Amino acid sequence: MLKILVCVKQVPDIDLVKMDPETGNLVRDGVPSMINPLDMNALEAALRLKEDMGGEITAITMGPPAAEAVLRECLALGADRAVLVTGREFGGADTLSTSYVIAKAALQLGSYDLIFCGKETVDGATGQMGSQLAERFGTSQVTSMSLIKSLDMERGSIVVEREVEKGVETIEARIPCLFTVEKTNYQPRLPNYRGKKAARTAKIITMGPGDIEGLDEKLIGVPGSGTIVPRIYPPVLPEAGQIIDEGSAAASAVKLCAILAAEGRI
Amino acid sequence: MEKYGKLSPELMEELRAIVGKERFFTGEDIDPNYSHDEMPIYGSHMPEAVCEVESTREVSEILKLCNEHRIPVTPRGAGTGLVGGAVPLLGGVVISTVRMNKILDYDMKNLCVRTQVGVLLQDLAADAAEHGLFYPPDPGEKTATVGGNVATNAGGMRAVKYGVTRDYVLAMTVVLPTGEILELGKAVCKSSSGYSLLQLMCGSEGTLGIITELTLKLIPAPPHDVSLLMPFENLADAIASVPDIKLAKLDPQSIEFMDADIVRSSAAFTGNSIFPQKLQGREVGGCILVTLVGNSEDELYEKMDRLNDVAEKAGAIDLLVVDTPSLKKTVWSARSSFLTAIEADTKLVDELDVVVPVDKIAEFLVYTRQVGEEQGLYVRNFGHAGDGNLHIYCCSNTMTEEEFIPRVKVVMGKCYSECARFGGQVSGEHAIGHAKKEYLRESVGDTAFRLMSQIKRVFDPNMILNPGKVCTYTEEGKGED
Repeated sequence: MLKILVCVKQVPDIDLVKMDPETGNLVRDGVPSMINPLDMNALEAALRLKEDMGGEITAITMGPPAAEAVLRECLALGADRAVLVTGREFGGADTLSTSYVIAKAALQLGSYDLIFCGKETVDGATGQMGSQLAERFGTSQVTSMSLIKSLDMERGSIVVEREVEKGVETIEARIPCLFTVEKTNYQPRLPNYRGKKAARTAKIITMGPGDIEGLDEKLIGVPGSGTIVPRIYPPVLPEAGQIIDEGSAAASAVKLCAILAAEGRI
Repeated sequence: MEKYGKLSPELMEELRAIVGKERFFTGEDIDPNYSHDEMPIYGSHMPEAVCEVESTREVSEILKLCNEHRIPVTPRGAGTGLVGGAVPLLGGVVISTVRMNKILDYDMKNLCVRTQVGVLLQDLAADAAEHGLFYPPDPGEKTATVGGNVATNAGGMRAVKYGVTRDYVLAMTVVLPTGEILELGKAVCKSSSGYSLLQLMCGSEGTLGIITELTLKLIPAPPHDVSLLMPFENLADAIASVPDIKLAKLDPQSIEFMDADIVRSSAAFTGNSIFPQKLQGREVGGCILVTLVGNSEDELYEKMDRLNDVAEKAGAIDLLVVDTPSLKKTVWSARSSFLTAIEADTKLVDELDVVVPVDKIAEFLVYTRQVGEEQGLYVRNFGHAGDGNLHIYCCSNTMTEEEFIPRVKVVMGKCYSECARFGGQVSGEHAIGHAKKEYLRESVGDTAFRLMSQIKRVFDPNMILNPGKVCTYTEEGKGED
């Protein structure tokens, strides 16, 4: 049976988050949480594959107990089981320690043929988790995957399309493989009522630090993080440019020279 | 036919003195948008002067002057109307209320808000929400002014539970065509105190007076809500489920319908394909979108259970749940974009905003499509299934306007007759303007139409205010009997 892992994150509703102009901190008080929208594209890719080929989807997240809500969303949409990795010790983790913990927890529960991640999160937006997890799992990886073309379990290969700057690459990858998913072809579906109702009371597998075998405490939470964030501040936006269009390149150049001359730059 | 005066340079100067030169426009300085609303097929007419007013006093002074000199005056909010109501058919002066955009104060004990009329619906709704309150009327056009909403008695998507705009108007300040300032209504919940001039003003389309301030009723926001989408293989089955939804004791906040064509147009226009076009291998022909409210999540689940039974019995392909803030935003903004989507991919369009008994909706939609196609037009429709208010758009991308207008007139004539046969109303919420007068006259009959004209004359003896709208004519040989 095809085994799929989908990694998701609970993020604050970005439309409602504001930045404190004095401290630069994100004001999250009272802001509702949601599933990272790009993770929904990852889940959608997994669900379509399951519809075509059968299989089992595991959704996993690390976060506070309330992050269980995003797992219930995954279950409502068709994930078969959900894993919440939670504990105070994990707090303050960056992507390095998060990928360590997620991989450890997920592998303890089984192995996976395919792993799907969102391209990035809308809060941290590092885009690092997918690649780090592929390293941790020891799988091949295709980032910016936009379409699954075919899957051959016997040969252990999958053919996908990948969006690049100037077009689309077609890539054949060895299974197991991790994908970060583009939203192009994977607009998430709406959950149905039956799924919602069942997900409401479904069991969530919860794992704390003590439940994960062989966890190195030095590699989790703040001590396990390779980065620190000393400050967050809003970007200084550059001044709006001026478009010079005098009808032809030559005329535009003359106009540009006139402006620069008037400003004493030439 | 009334005789009107000319807007002389001296009168122009007097008007300029009332509002100041920054807010007074003439000739080429007038924004061409002041010549039409959002339905260009009904024609454009430039005003000779535009006054962007900021106070009741200014409106009063302008009207006094114009009444004295018999200058036509057309009031205008955001210009989002769909029946030519704000089009200055005879030129003259346009009084624009867009600068009267202040929410004045909240009465948290009596649950009401006092506001100027130029406040946009979306701003009032958001501001009320910040005060923990809820303004129930929810017309699709969120950038309309609340004054325009009152003047047309706009309904919207929550009318099935909460009623329409007039149900939320407690009091108003209105300037009569003579310039007299009148306070109508009180900030109380009941009145049995003589003829309700307040209610007469609601839906009077700026023909009886210019409303400048409103006291609107608010309610506590429902703590929990969820929207549910019921996709069907065909629209008739979708609409046939509406009476059962109403009988299931769900007290829904809204029951909307949309056909597959409008869903496709909207997805192509907005890039938002949240409404499924294919589900479980079946083509979706039409959808019902229901919103339920409740005091707890458990209550919502109980209601959803009952709705699920209705959906299964009615043959819905599935029952999809729209429960997160981001999904709700996506779904309802897609719903609100339907008209814009039609406008974006259609060269020529005319519309009906009829109300028919709920059990006649499906039959009426089949009829309009058939009549439209007979005339070479394609038809798009969506609307409020819960109250029978249908928005039907007759469109063409291939005809010239000269070809289109007589054909669409045939379609309109037949459809309004059919609507009357079904016991329906000409307009549910877009009103009459100058575009739907004849259909109104046929629908209400000569006696009622004459009474309307006589009421108009009581308020506006010189017939200066919004001439040619609702029940008055600007053409020779027409008018009161």
